[in-house]
Amino acid sequence: MAGASQIVEADIAEAIIATIETKSQKIESLLKHYKHIEALKTALDDSPPKTLDERCKSANWIVVHKVIMAIRDIDGMLNALGAEYYDILMKYLYRGLSTGDEPTCDQCLMIHEKLTERAGLGCILRCLSDTTNTV
Amino acid sequence: MTGTRKLQPLIYFEEIVHLGNLALRFMLYVWSLEAGEWVPTLVILRLNRAALCVQWSPKENKFAVGSGAKTVCICYYEQENNWWVSKLIRKRHESSVTSVAWHPNNILLATTSTDGKCRVFSTFIKGVDTKDSKAASPAETKFGEQILQLDLSYSWAFGVKWSPTGNTLAYVGHSSMIYFVDDVGPSPLAQSVAFRDLPLRDVLFISEKMVIGVGYDSNPMVFASDDTGIWSFIRYIGEKKAASSNSSYSSQFSEAFGKFYGSQSKSATANDASESRGGVHDNCINSIVSLSKAGSPKVMRFSTSGLDGKIAIWDLENMEQELGNQV
Repeated sequence: MAGASQIVEADIAEAIIATIETKSQKIESLLKHYKHIEALKTALDDSPPKTLDERCKSANWIVVHKVIMAIRDIDGMLNALGAEYYDILMKYLYRGLSTGDEPTCDQCLMIHEKLTERAGLGCILRCLSDTTNTV
Repeated sequence: MTGTRKLQPLIYFEEIVHLGNLALRFMLYVWSLEAGEWVPTLVILRLNRAALCVQWSPKENKFAVGSGAKTVCICYYEQENNWWVSKLIRKRHESSVTSVAWHPNNILLATTSTDGKCRVFSTFIKGVDTKDSKAASPAETKFGEQILQLDLSYSWAFGVKWSPTGNTLAYVGHSSMIYFVDDVGPSPLAQSVAFRDLPLRDVLFISEKMVIGVGYDSNPMVFASDDTGIWSFIRYIGEKKAASSNSSYSSQFSEAFGKFYGSQSKSATANDASESRGGVHDNCINSIVSLSKAGSPKVMRFSTSGLDGKIAIWDLENMEQELGNQV
């Protein structure tokens, strides 16, 4: 059965990557118009945590990363972002921190500080303890 | 001394005494008060891993032990042989059983495990449970049969409890979430409540609509369900939490955050208004036990014990006002 489910995974994965492609273009245009908050919400929406496919996760990460790096006004961004996005944003921040790339880490760290103030330690816990839905 | 022995089911004592013995030798003692002295009786649990939790049933004729061997032992007293017999629920659990809770009907048992799931089993034992089997409908089911499995948590689950009527189930996950399941049965209504702070370890229903959770924050949290049945976090017992985010971390945290953020943080780390957590416990609170009479619909006194070695007794009599008269 493992073989069959892998094939199914691949199909879905292709579809997901295609969706991410479209999302990516939309986000490019949003960023050009300085609509950072919209861009972030779009990037975080439909994050594919349930698929095990690494390519999907990487593809979505690239998109989210682009938006994260473009953000300048962190407080304003967090103000406008709804609480339902906090947990998923925290997961991507940790992914960013794990890259070890200096500008990414700097930015992620700054956002992490503000996000923790707002969302509390529970948010971090949810991110760390959830090993099934990873980004 | 067979039939004349009166068993004193002080769960509180049971846990402290048993766990001490259990972890080392996989055995369990039932302590009974005979002529003013506590006398232990050994119960062979047939476990090959440590027992993690133990609870007497509401009628005190059975008790359940959750273990690291992924099993639950249900023990009952066999009059003819004057000893405690254990029956094992071997199936279903994929990891250690962290907590067990008896439904008021004395037959259903809820368990939580480090596999993240909460399950409800029937512990119907012929000869022990037959007389009252008309009470609840699933009472006739086979021993060890799983009635329900809840997959709400993605991380370890702890601290399950039933509400006084047995209609609602609450348990906590290690991801700072608490789960409420109303109308436990064929079509349950589940709610997952995420909260700001560190995870909980144990819960207690102080009424049908109010739950107190205790855990790594060292301060009990109150959750309540409103008129529409939606559960949410109300407040901490003890000192009121300041609303502003700057002062919500104790000085320990500020230091740690200072190191983490280092030169990144341009604003002064919150050393100015850092309130010390104060409160009764200094460390994680591991368990919460009701001190009110068993089976009463409202709990007015409970005790908590924690990793700081303290046992605290809390009295809710004076807190009714503050809890908004919801109790």
